[in-house]
Amino acid sequence: MSALNTRVSLLALACAVSSYSAMAEDSSLTNPNISAVLDGYYQTGDRPLAERAEGFGLGETELALSANIDEMFYGKVTAVVESHDGETELNLEEAFIQTLALPNGLSVRAGRFLSDVGYLNNQHKHTDAFTERPAAYRAFLGGHYFDDGVRLSYVAPTDVYWTMGVEAFKGDSMRAADEHGERDFDDVGVFSALTKIGGDIGIESSWQLGLSYLRNENGLAYAEEHEDEEETDDEHEEHSHSASYTGENTYVADFVYKWAPNGNYKYQNLTVSGEYFRVTDIFGEEPGHDDDAGDVDDHDHEFSGDDYHEGWYLSSVYQFSPSWSAGVRYGQVDTYEIHEDHLDPQKLKETELSVAWHSSHFSTVRLQYTHQEGTNFDGFEDDNIVTLQYVMSLGAHGAHQF
Amino acid sequence: MRINSKVLLAVAVMPLLFTATAKAELNVFACEAEYGALAKAIAPSADVYSATTAMQDPHQVQARPSLIAKMRQADLVVCAGADLEIGWLPMLQMKAANPQVTSTDKGLFYAADQIDTLDKLTRVDRSMGDVHAKGNPHLHLDPQRMLTVAKALSVKMSELDPQNSNEYQQSFADFSQRWQAKIPQWQEQAKGLAGKKVIAYHSSFRYLFNWIGIEQVADLEPKPGLAPTSSHLASLLTRAEQGDVMAVIVASYQDERGAKWLGERANLPVVMLPMSVGGNEQSQDLFSLYDSLLSLLNGVK
Repeated sequence: MSALNTRVSLLALACAVSSYSAMAEDSSLTNPNISAVLDGYYQTGDRPLAERAEGFGLGETELALSANIDEMFYGKVTAVVESHDGETELNLEEAFIQTLALPNGLSVRAGRFLSDVGYLNNQHKHTDAFTERPAAYRAFLGGHYFDDGVRLSYVAPTDVYWTMGVEAFKGDSMRAADEHGERDFDDVGVFSALTKIGGDIGIESSWQLGLSYLRNENGLAYAEEHEDEEETDDEHEEHSHSASYTGENTYVADFVYKWAPNGNYKYQNLTVSGEYFRVTDIFGEEPGHDDDAGDVDDHDHEFSGDDYHEGWYLSSVYQFSPSWSAGVRYGQVDTYEIHEDHLDPQKLKETELSVAWHSSHFSTVRLQYTHQEGTNFDGFEDDNIVTLQYVMSLGAHGAHQF
Repeated sequence: MRINSKVLLAVAVMPLLFTATAKAELNVFACEAEYGALAKAIAPSADVYSATTAMQDPHQVQARPSLIAKMRQADLVVCAGADLEIGWLPMLQMKAANPQVTSTDKGLFYAADQIDTLDKLTRVDRSMGDVHAKGNPHLHLDPQRMLTVAKALSVKMSELDPQNSNEYQQSFADFSQRWQAKIPQWQEQAKGLAGKKVIAYHSSFRYLFNWIGIEQVADLEPKPGLAPTSSHLASLLTRAEQGDVMAVIVASYQDERGAKWLGERANLPVVMLPMSVGGNEQSQDLFSLYDSLLSLLNGVK
């Protein structure tokens, strides 16, 4: 009911101001930036941990409102409507304020927002060059990690770009699986620290490197005496934005390199990017569980503190004319799933090719081919998937984020 | 012990040094090369950085790390405005966290705010292409408008940095005198061009053509921001065959291929004009930019 109300009022708000937005003037409180993103597709199969299912479907339909609230604050609301298995759900992906006037390169963002860890995470999915996020994002961040919390950022006054940030989040979507619903989770579960540096190489090339550390107080999965197989399967089929593989410590290293002839991005440009994830301290004993669960000790433990999940991808996208771009991406994840008292290694490899046609700055039609190789990965085995997708935006001009 | 005291001294002195250098010169971030050149003309002692070159389309700039770093340190940001930089300036302002340059009350300066833009629209629809209600932002190729902008910029600089206001006023007076001496010369050179017809790419030279009296009878872009299509080029060829078109004009950051295709078939010269300072070898400052534009247009046979 509350979801419905939110939807109705957002639509009412959008209608009320849409006549102004057509003027494409600067945003202000009486004239905010409004944009909608339409995303639809047809695909021939299922990718593991992905948002899109086989057949016809809609991706995230997004409605965003943003404006400077006053001299001191900027605000943004992004509502996302998703359809899965005949059910339509409304999610609030962003609802944050950000300071505009703190001195010395400092800024604070509070509310619900996209974490700044990694390279892709702070970008909206509809600007991606591929249909789905890399497998590492789907496995460790639930596709993209947004949450309720606060961030403090600092930009150094240096010619080489250098920013640092610390974040604290509720962390609900990053919690380890809790089969029995008995676990006492921390209310503030996720903390992160990140830094990015970047600059230009001559006129034609730009680069950025990032390092992030994410501490997840609720990320440690506990050894179970009995894992209910059916329950596990259900959980994987259910649509969710939660991370599927968690651990207490996540380390992310990312880079992006962009090139355009003469630095002119209009006609041709190249983007090469890659990220590496390592999630450690993934399984442990439930604290205080040893006494009443002596039988656990009798089992032959095959896991140790050294086990970790790992994932990475490398992507290259070339825009060879204002209307056409093509990309190739390889990514893999190596994870563990707990079965009773031992660990089952899983592996997923994805090799992807995408070709996109851009009728203008605001519309994209994409054809993507994915070759996936799964080893013990929730029943996903070798497969070839083709997706035909459109992503179009209306309203305010989107940002050319690096 | 001795090292420690040296370190302490260095730490104590460092903020003073930073303050001293910051006061010595105005740190200017220009969105386009023409405003970099203008800022340099009015504030010769300023540290001026231009975010784009004349070879880069200012509509299509990435909010890249180096620009965030430069904007973080800027005292003054000078841009064309009229939404030319709408795809990247707001993102830079957000990421640079420098409140000095987020408001036109302080260190943000839009050239388009100082003058009347051409082609303001009362209604904007995306089916019209990537157009802006605030009018055409490529105003730096109109000498009268540019003079008005220069005066306003000198006032803005004096407000921001009163200590050096003498420098800004004198430099502007000098610029204004030289510029006004040049305008009649340019007009003399442009006489033979009045009434000529051209096909050009985008509305990039709208102000130049308006000033000289050249008529742009067709656009290589089917709609603003869209690349030339073969069917559109075919219709341009039909138009060119009427025989009244002088040349096909493209700017230094625009793709020549469509223009060349048309030029070859319609037997028309293709002229690449510098869009800004640095757009060709001759264009070293605003004066030589205008000289070069007129000499290239006059060179068309």
